[in-house]
Amino acid sequence: MAGASNLSGLALETSGELQSPGSASSNRSLRVAENVRKKGERNPFQFALNYLSQVQEGTVVRGNDALERNLVLVETIALSQGLPPEAVSLLLDLALSLRAGSVTCSRILKFLIPASVVPQEAIVRGMSWLCVGKMPLNAQVLFLRWVLTVFDLIDCKDHLRAVYGFIFSFLTEENLCPFICHLLYLLTMREHVQPFRVRKLLEIQTRMGKQSFLMQLLALYKVFRPELVTLSVPSRLRTGFKNHNSTWKAALSAVQRKNRTQMMADHSLSLGVKGKPVSRKRKLDHLEVPPLSSSFYTNSKKTVFQLQELRSFTELLQNIHNIELPAQMGSLLGCSLALHYLDCVQDESAFLRLNFWLGYSLQEEFLLCPVDGDSDSQTEASRFLATILSSQQFLQESFLSTESFLYKFLSVWDGSLLRSQVLDLLSHVPLMPSHHIRMLLFEPLMQLYFTSSVFFKCSVLECLNSMLLKWLTWHSINALENGLDISLNSNGTVTMTLSGFMDTVIELVRFVGRLAAEGLRLENCHVLLLSHTLAFYETVCDMFVKYGLPLVIMPPADVFYPALLATDSVSVDRLGYIMYRYRKNLTLAKKQGQQREQTFHISRVTYQEFNKHLVAMVSCLWNSKSFLSGTGIEVDERQLIQSKVPDHWSSFDLVHHPAFFKYALEFHQKCWPERKRVDLASIKVGKYWNWYVEFLFSQGFDGLNDFIKVNTGQSYSSSSSSQGDSQPTGQH
Amino acid sequence: GHGSARQVALSPRSRSYGRSCVEPPSLFWQTPGRLTALGQRTPTARGAAKAYNITVRMYTVALLVQNEWKLSYVTPLYRFQYTKLKLYSRHLAAFILAEKQQGVAVEVGMEAGFRVTFSAVFGLAEKEEDAETVFIQIYSKPMFAADTPKMVWRGWLTCVNGDPEYLRSLPPDFVSLPLFCSNGSEYLTARVKSWFGRTFDCSFGSLCLSSATLNWLAALWTGCHPTCDIGYLKLYWSMPTQPTLDVEYTVNPHDAWELWNSICAQDGAEDMVSVEEVQRFMAGLETHLFRHFKIYLSAGSLVKVSTALGSAHQDGKIKIGSSDYITTLLTLLTECALLKTPV
Repeated sequence: MAGASNLSGLALETSGELQSPGSASSNRSLRVAENVRKKGERNPFQFALNYLSQVQEGTVVRGNDALERNLVLVETIALSQGLPPEAVSLLLDLALSLRAGSVTCSRILKFLIPASVVPQEAIVRGMSWLCVGKMPLNAQVLFLRWVLTVFDLIDCKDHLRAVYGFIFSFLTEENLCPFICHLLYLLTMREHVQPFRVRKLLEIQTRMGKQSFLMQLLALYKVFRPELVTLSVPSRLRTGFKNHNSTWKAALSAVQRKNRTQMMADHSLSLGVKGKPVSRKRKLDHLEVPPLSSSFYTNSKKTVFQLQELRSFTELLQNIHNIELPAQMGSLLGCSLALHYLDCVQDESAFLRLNFWLGYSLQEEFLLCPVDGDSDSQTEASRFLATILSSQQFLQESFLSTESFLYKFLSVWDGSLLRSQVLDLLSHVPLMPSHHIRMLLFEPLMQLYFTSSVFFKCSVLECLNSMLLKWLTWHSINALENGLDISLNSNGTVTMTLSGFMDTVIELVRFVGRLAAEGLRLENCHVLLLSHTLAFYETVCDMFVKYGLPLVIMPPADVFYPALLATDSVSVDRLGYIMYRYRKNLTLAKKQGQQREQTFHISRVTYQEFNKHLVAMVSCLWNSKSFLSGTGIEVDERQLIQSKVPDHWSSFDLVHHPAFFKYALEFHQKCWPERKRVDLASIKVGKYWNWYVEFLFSQGFDGLNDFIKVNTGQSYSSSSSSQGDSQPTGQH
Repeated sequence: GHGSARQVALSPRSRSYGRSCVEPPSLFWQTPGRLTALGQRTPTARGAAKAYNITVRMYTVALLVQNEWKLSYVTPLYRFQYTKLKLYSRHLAAFILAEKQQGVAVEVGMEAGFRVTFSAVFGLAEKEEDAETVFIQIYSKPMFAADTPKMVWRGWLTCVNGDPEYLRSLPPDFVSLPLFCSNGSEYLTARVKSWFGRTFDCSFGSLCLSSATLNWLAALWTGCHPTCDIGYLKLYWSMPTQPTLDVEYTVNPHDAWELWNSICAQDGAEDMVSVEEVQRFMAGLETHLFRHFKIYLSAGSLVKVSTALGSAHQDGKIKIGSSDYITTLLTLLTECALLKTPV
């Protein structure tokens, strides 16, 4: 049974996705009704309905076989298939009018299972019967419970809302009050909240005491008109209304499952006010995001929408011209719909309010309060930072308050508390003038860097890389066309000159260069650290081509050589890629420099540095001329002889390089499987060299492939027959 | 030019509308100097204490005097209006009642249980940018109508000589009253803060006074002696010993002034006091104690400063002894509160 209901639940959900519920379902209900009517001509059900509709006032019920027979017939159909809308209307009218007596009334109400929708007119008429005041109390309660159960199936609610005042008047009936409160809760719109109703409700409250149903309705009134009523709902009472659907629940869901209708009665109607799961309160809860509530000066006009009323992006778009911000802007943090709106309206006050709150929360939590090592508060803090992060990622910029918080926090941070979140936030720090960044960011970061583990060092490099990427992206989007100045904000009031921006970038790249060089030395060229360093230079080498920033900065020798002489092939390959991209950037810069008059200058020193690195790399890997004079890395000849390494000039070529040694061996094995003595030098002879290089590149060393291709003029994608000893080109 | 107009249309909305935390008017970046752990910077010079020109209604100032006040800093209030003080009174009263009887709704405007009054205290503000002080009193309604309502809580929000550049930079719908002083039960203080938070989207944090601030107060109050008898200068130190040693150091007001005067006489400027002078003054007092008791006070922390003009405790509690030099005290405290403002 449970399995079956699960299955049908799935089916309902999927079909619900395909069709929009509104018009489609009412069409469908019409179709269903049509079918029923057609069948009805030969159908005993229709006869029965006809009979029941003609039951007159004062009909004798007891011993009335005809009435009984027809009722049973309709009941059976209702419980098995559900009733079409007009049958619901007809039967409800028959029941509530008491034409067939009060026992029949209750009986009918109990089997009044709608097949699809309930026409609102039926409910309105029902309400008028309620006003007549003849129904016995149990029937009244049953009727209201039924209305609450089928509430979501009522086709339209505007007429029902029009009789809000009549419904409200039943609040004074003590026994009906809980149900009326619930119904009003479901119907209330802003315009219904009036001072006289508030007063009436408070009067009832005085009489009945603290009742959760009254509290729920009053809380809703407070949401709409906080200037009329105020209320504090204790967290343990934020549970909502009770369910009243027990009588119909089983039959209704069975019928709906059977009819596979798209409409799904929401059996959790009562979840009107969803209290957040109340977590154990902390002593100092600075990180509690305030609940969404209307502002004190809420406009009581009907047209104004409050952000908390919005459910979808479409709704936001339709109402964007009259949306009201909540009382506490902090409540919007992490709510993407609201951030969309904020992003769109550019309301300085709204942003400031958010920033004041956010800055306050961060400051109180992390700077002013004694740290408690409580793991609960840790998770809460990390969740809070994660919310900020996701909001910032959504807005693609940093909040002013997080930024100033970070500068303060960096000087007291131990480098381990919430490390990944703090570094992530740090990577969002916007551009700022170079003298500021040195003092606010680099100095505290450097202290932490040199006193922490290699993994922290890696995270710092990663963070700075991501920071640089964001700045470059910002630049490539916001660079003003005319000048090369960039705007730091959209109305152009804060701008930074291009040279100012470049200074900051240079400052950052040099800083990372220093960190990486020293870090590699300290950590003995740790592979992971080298990898993060190279990742950073992968960004740096492409600043001109990818981001249009006319700036080329070469890595320092302390980074270049550890990568070139690294024992892992991945690092050497990445270095190949980086040098290849540098070449592309420099070539483009030179070409543009020749074409245009107003040219920027890449300094001669940069070209010289590049060439020096290039020569070193080509002579090392390709020409087997490591450590000889004129190749970049020179080692004193006597020392080389002293080291007694045979053929030292070739010990870092593609065959003997420790990173590729494994591949050379494998290649050797494949070429000369019968050989006992390995002679790697034979790979360098004639066509074997070409084959070897081709073999190497087929292992996925694309960076190296590009590097060799562009710098030696060789192409290995198609088997070529060029010389193994071709001279490197590409000298600028 | 049209270049930037075009920019508005093309570019995505950007960071914080031209505000930057590393440029003025951000208080974070206010004055050059070394950054402390919290990015706080204190000015290196300020005006000497001046007797207060009493134009304020006496009875309100009298309310400020003689009570002990707990200090807090407050972020700027959004849409606070001086014309709506009556309305605020009704709302706060209803809010406190609703909080008290959790789950029972309260109609706004029904005066039951509590009566709240908001009033503006004109005349305390010094500069054009300073917002007028707001005084709040809460009375509990007696059970029997014949009894007079009893004042159970009072507090005020103020801004005296606030940084004008910062205050001017706030959009017009903000009112900055950065210093909040309260006297009464913690419970009511918390309710009042919570109501302000919900109504004006502001936040309250506790304001502790650094020993630098207390040093300043000691020096400024001593400087008043020739015009107004400060009675005594009492300094309380807490020494980091096992067990802790508390030092209470009472200085004859005339001796204190002599020392202060000898330091000020060396520098030219009459009505400006520099931080070096303050440090020299405190060092002088400390040396004197060392000569007698061989205790290095500089190893401990200054906890409290007290004269007849008032007292201030490190944990953010003050007492105003006389209304004469109230401006000097409030200027200093406003500055402390503004420096805590997060952005």
